[in-house]
Amino acid sequence: MIGRFVLRRLGIAVLQLLGVALAVFFLIRLLPADPVARLVGLNASEEAYAQAERTLGLDRPVVDQLLSFLGLSSDRGADGLADGSLGLSWVTGDPVFLEIGRFLPVTLELVTLALLISFLIAIPLGMASATRPGGIADRIAFVWGLFAGAQPDYWWGLLFVFLFFFILGIAPPPLGRIDPLLIEPSVITGFLTVDSLLQGRLDTFVSALHHLMLPILTQVFVVSGAITKMVRQNMIRALQSDYILYARCCGLSRRAVGRYALRAALTPAVTLVGIFYGVLLSAAVTVELVFSLGGIGEYAIRSILSFDYPAIQGVVLIVALVSLLIYLLLDIIHAYLDPRVKY
Amino acid sequence: MTDLTGAPGAALPAVDRRGLLARLRSDRFFLVGVVIVFLSLFLAAFGPLISPYDPLRSTGEISTPPPPIETWPRLLYETVSGQREAPPHWFGTDQSGLDVFSRVISAPRADMTIALGGALISLVIGTFLGLLAGFYRNWATEFMMRISDVLQSFPVFITAMILVALSGRQTGNLVLALALVYTPIFVRLTRAEVMAQSSRGYVQAALAVGNSRWTIAIKHVLPNSLVPSLVQMSVTVGFAIILTAGLSFVGAGVRPPTPEWGSMISIGAQQLILGEWWPSVFPGVAISLTVLGYAFVGHTIEAEFRET
Repeated sequence: MIGRFVLRRLGIAVLQLLGVALAVFFLIRLLPADPVARLVGLNASEEAYAQAERTLGLDRPVVDQLLSFLGLSSDRGADGLADGSLGLSWVTGDPVFLEIGRFLPVTLELVTLALLISFLIAIPLGMASATRPGGIADRIAFVWGLFAGAQPDYWWGLLFVFLFFFILGIAPPPLGRIDPLLIEPSVITGFLTVDSLLQGRLDTFVSALHHLMLPILTQVFVVSGAITKMVRQNMIRALQSDYILYARCCGLSRRAVGRYALRAALTPAVTLVGIFYGVLLSAAVTVELVFSLGGIGEYAIRSILSFDYPAIQGVVLIVALVSLLIYLLLDIIHAYLDPRVKY
Repeated sequence: MTDLTGAPGAALPAVDRRGLLARLRSDRFFLVGVVIVFLSLFLAAFGPLISPYDPLRSTGEISTPPPPIETWPRLLYETVSGQREAPPHWFGTDQSGLDVFSRVISAPRADMTIALGGALISLVIGTFLGLLAGFYRNWATEFMMRISDVLQSFPVFITAMILVALSGRQTGNLVLALALVYTPIFVRLTRAEVMAQSSRGYVQAALAVGNSRWTIAIKHVLPNSLVPSLVQMSVTVGFAIILTAGLSFVGAGVRPPTPEWGSMISIGAQQLILGEWWPSVFPGVAISLTVLGYAFVGHTIEAEFRET
C-alpha cells in the first residue's frame, strides 16, 4: 500500500523535475546574455569567439543542445541528465555533478541544524503562547514573529559577526568552515561535524561547530519567529476541537490537555518542516556568502555571475530535487503519524 | 510566512464596534506602519533632492565615524541656524568618502521603485490570470496553472538572480524579474478566491437576471476576490525590498555606485570585520524598518477584513 503511494509520488516528482529542467534550459537561453563573450573577453578575435562557441556547443541548433542536455544525444560525450553527470562546467571543466556534490553537504548541514534548533525553540514557545492567549509568552511570540519574520538575514549575520567576533571575541572570523590550522578530516559524508565524529576527531568537530555557531544563529533568528507563529495557530486550532473540549469537561489538568493538543498540533507541523526547509535553503545563499562557508549558494552565485550554463542548470535542478525529496519524505511521515491520511 | 494573523488574544476575539477610523487611530502598530510607508514613498520621490551631500561624489573625508549621539542635538541646532559651513556626516562616511546618511535617504529611489514596481505588476497580472483560471476551467488555464506550479517550485532567490544577471542589471530588468517571481502567488490566491465566490448565491442571481459571464467576472466576482491579494501585496512589497537588496548584496542587482541599501551593506561588509560598523549598519536599519512598516500595515488590513 505505502509502496504504491511512494512509487506514484516518485513518478510525479520525476515529471516535475523534467518540467523544471526544461523550464530552466529555455529560460537561460531566452534571456539576452552572451556567455561566449563573457568567457573569451570583449577583445577576442572573431576566430577565438567562433572557436569558443563551438567548444561550448552553442553553435548547434537549440534542439540538439536540449537533446545533449537531457543526455539523449551521443555525439558530445558526458553531457547530460540521463547519465547523471549534469554536463561539464564551462569555467572549471569538471562535471557539474561532482562539484555540486562537494558544495551541497555544507548547505544541508547548516540548514538542517538551523531548522532543528528553530523547532526546539518554536514548539515550546508556540505551545506556551497558545495555552495562555495574551500572556507574556504570547506577547513575546507575537512581537518577535512580526519583527523577525521579514528581516534581511545577511545583515543580521554581519551584525552578529561584529558583536561576537569583533567586540566580544568569542566567535571565529567569518572565513570558512574550520580553523585553517587544523587538518580537515577525510570526506565521508561531506558533513564536517559527522565526518569528524566518525573518525574520532574531536578537535575538528569542535572547530566546525564553532564556525557554524553564527551562521546557525542567523538562520534561527530569522526563521523561528515565523515557525512559532504557525505552531501557535496549529495549537489553537487543536485546542478548539471537540475532543479537547471533552478532555476539559472530564476535568483533566491544563498540562494534560496541552499534551493531547500537542500531538494533534504536531502532525501539521511536519508540513512546516518542508516549507521552512525550502525557505532556509533559499536564504542560505546570502548567509553562506557572509561567512564564506563555500556551500551551494556560493556555487550558485559564482556560476550565475560567470554565465556557466551547465552549472546553473545543475544548481536549479539539485535544489528542486532536494525540496521534492523532502516533501516526499514528509508525506510518508505524515501518513504514518495520521492514520486518517489515505495513500 | 505569508500569514500575519494571530494577534494576542485571537482565540477569543472581542468585537470592536467603533468605526473604522477610530479603530485605526488607536492601533499603534498601524500608525507606525503608515508613517514608515509614507516616509519610504516620500524619500523615493525626494530623497536625492534633500540629501545634504551628493550621494555619488566623495567628500574627501574617508571612514569618518558618525558623531556621538549626545552631540546630535547641538549639531542639529548648529546646522539649522547656519553656524556650520558644511553639514555634519550624521551616519559617518564610508571608505571611499561617500556620506552614508545622504546615500541611505537617496536609496529608496532605487529600492522602492523596484520593489513596488515588481509587486504591483505581479498583483495586476497575477489577479487577471487568476480570474481567468478561476472562471474558465479548461485545458488552457489548466496548462497555465501547471506552468505556475513549476515556477513556484524554483528557489526564489536563485531564479531572480538568474533573471537579472543574464538579462543585464538595469532597473527595468530588476522590476520584471521580481514581477515574474511573485506572479504565481497572486494567480493561485485569486483563482482560489474566484472559485469560492463563483458558487455563491449572488453569482447565480446575476446569471439568472441575464448578465454575461464576463460582466459578472469583472463587475461582481473580481472586487469580492481582491482582499487576499491586497493583503498579500503588502507582505510581498516587504519581501521584494529584501530581495532587491539581497540581489545587490551578492552582486546581481543595482550597480554601484548608485545608492542602494543592499549594495551599501555589501561595500561596508569588508570593513565591518575591522570594526568600521557604520557603512553597513545604517542601510540595514533602513531595510529592517521599512519592511517592518509594510508588515504592520498588512497585518492591520488583514485583521480588518477578517472581522467583516
